[in-house]
Amino acid sequence: MLARKPDLVFAALCLIFALVCVLFWLPRDTETAMIEVFRRQISMGDAFVPIVAGTLMGICAAIHLVMTALRKDLYDTESAPVDSAAMAFLIQLTLVVALSLAVMFWAGPLAVELFVVSGSEDITYRQMRATYPYKLIGFVLGGFALVFGLSALIEGQIRASRAILALITVAILVAIFDLPLDSVLLPPNGDW
Amino acid sequence: MGVFEYVWAGVLAVFLGPEAFSLFGIGVPITLVMVVFGFLLGIVIGATPGLGGPFVMAVSLPILISFFGFTPDALLPVMGFLVGVMKGATVGGAVPAILFNTPGTPDALMTTLDGYPMTKRGNAGKALRTAHFASVSGDTFSDLVLFTTAPFLAIIVESYLGFAEKAALIVLSLSFVAAVVGASPMKGLMAAFFGILLASVGTGEDLYPRMTMGTEFLANGFPLITAVLGVLIMGEVITSFEETWRDRRAARVQNQIPQSDDNSLSWSERKALLPYISVSAAVGTLIGALPGIGSTLAATLGYATGQKMHKGPVKFGDGTPEGVAATEAANSSVSGANLIPVLSLGIPGNVSAVFLILAAESIGGFNPGPSVFRFTTSEVNPELVIAFGLFTTMMCANILNWTIGGQFMRWVGVMSKVPKQVLMPMVFLLTITAVYVQETSFDAIFFLLGFGLLGFFMRKLRVPILPFVIAFILASNLETALRQAFAVSGGDPFFLFRSPISIVFLVLSVVVIVFFMCGKKDEAALSSEVS
Repeated sequence: MLARKPDLVFAALCLIFALVCVLFWLPRDTETAMIEVFRRQISMGDAFVPIVAGTLMGICAAIHLVMTALRKDLYDTESAPVDSAAMAFLIQLTLVVALSLAVMFWAGPLAVELFVVSGSEDITYRQMRATYPYKLIGFVLGGFALVFGLSALIEGQIRASRAILALITVAILVAIFDLPLDSVLLPPNGDW
Repeated sequence: MGVFEYVWAGVLAVFLGPEAFSLFGIGVPITLVMVVFGFLLGIVIGATPGLGGPFVMAVSLPILISFFGFTPDALLPVMGFLVGVMKGATVGGAVPAILFNTPGTPDALMTTLDGYPMTKRGNAGKALRTAHFASVSGDTFSDLVLFTTAPFLAIIVESYLGFAEKAALIVLSLSFVAAVVGASPMKGLMAAFFGILLASVGTGEDLYPRMTMGTEFLANGFPLITAVLGVLIMGEVITSFEETWRDRRAARVQNQIPQSDDNSLSWSERKALLPYISVSAAVGTLIGALPGIGSTLAATLGYATGQKMHKGPVKFGDGTPEGVAATEAANSSVSGANLIPVLSLGIPGNVSAVFLILAAESIGGFNPGPSVFRFTTSEVNPELVIAFGLFTTMMCANILNWTIGGQFMRWVGVMSKVPKQVLMPMVFLLTITAVYVQETSFDAIFFLLGFGLLGFFMRKLRVPILPFVIAFILASNLETALRQAFAVSGGDPFFLFRSPISIVFLVLSVVVIVFFMCGKKDEAALSSEVS
């Protein structure tokens, strides 16, 4: 169980979210209201289920808020669930993942741009995405960066053995997905 | 077709289905191959701390669907694989608990209490044999209860429940899961309603997809498998990253403990374990049949019951085989019984069941629920044949478990030494790749990471994951049942309160919540709140 203060903040945030959903977002972002009458036929509109769910979520949040406020706290010694260390970790994780995904997405098109000699017309990555090695460049480089980067992040050191493991991982995934299945597109080839 | 013809058709669907390859001129069915593969992989993964059956089921589902396609022929091989993984992982979870005092799965925590002291005394082999014997006995018992109970329950549900009652039953199930999983029923309910809210995005019956904020990005809603994988697997991976990042001393040195020469388990020893196994299997089956409670509580109750029965010289907790047997029989007997609500009501009660439902929904042609068990005589009900085919795959996995499971389990002890910080980055890339090959869009990766972060924060804030996932999956069924019930009632605002059965279900929903809010939860429930 969480300490009292973070639990109160959590319940309050849930209550605010539910109120915003029910009072502002849902009525404006659904075509039909909770109940629709069309040619004297009464039916349930698209807003019914989300508004009921949002309302009940708000009620539960309010009850939790009151119960937490009234509770005799035995857990206040516990540290905050999302502290500055957790946020620092998330920022570093986001950077590693974003960079790796960017490499995965753009490495193939960049390689085509740099190395494919075009004649009179431009050759795009889409035309080359089924041709080796271009079809795998993005996945191999991005996948390697992701596995190696994450290992380095969580271990706090760069190790050659982890680089080899990252390469082996990518090679195994290529062997599983690309070699036996012609119809399967590895990332990022479906987007081009 | 009669009942026995349906059962036989299910068996034949497994053994005479599409061939994987031919051995000495005899065709080996693909379903059987997938069961074997899933079972062995399940043991390996179960024996690897930090991973688990649900992880393999989650990641392999998109791969299997890409491989087998969306045809009815894909149903049994895919579900057979998932069943194999489920059973293999249950057995494998005991390996690191016994050998290294590290439970491979949360429900194997109690196994460490007696399993590891046995290892320290040089009886690791005996402990592993005991765990395997108890686990496979409990699992088989639970499956037999499933085979006999689910059809009858489904027939009763189909005969007596209309649209309003079915909607009320889903509400009751969600309330129950929300109440029993985790430390706070209110948080469970908030998670469930949030799941329904998110599942509503981009869906509905109007031309304009609701709750999209006018964006194309959300117009098709959140892909079901991506969302479930994100919250369950990616959330767990990110949480695990953070824990390892905080404590970089994860690479511990394991000392080799010398083992005794005689580590066999004789027939008389097996006979002496049977009372503990029987009682624990009954406890586990009973708990497994209730959605959401899970195997951790079953293991705790099985252990506590065994402790009361035990009169031997070595006490529970000091390394007695009875302790290992009581725990393993209880947690293993949950897996079969967990499928009772899935097959009879269409309601998943645990994470493994979630992936069986996702497989069925993704491939099509089989909708787990009461309509499956229609014993039509004039025409063949293909869903019923698939259901009996599924039962057949479960029995095949049990036979494998009885025959080769024990030996294989002892071989994979080495997996327990694989460090988490090596595995988790691989899991991260594998999950991203598995989702991408199914959705073929980077948007799916963004959804996956978004839901992963949601899962991370839910774990941090001690909000139970299972009610969210089950509500997300059942939201569409709930809305359909509500719409139909409302339409049938002619727009009656009290349409849910017109039938006595529906009223009973709704009252029970409130009673369950109030009961669990008033009662203080034990540590077993707390430990299962995330898993």
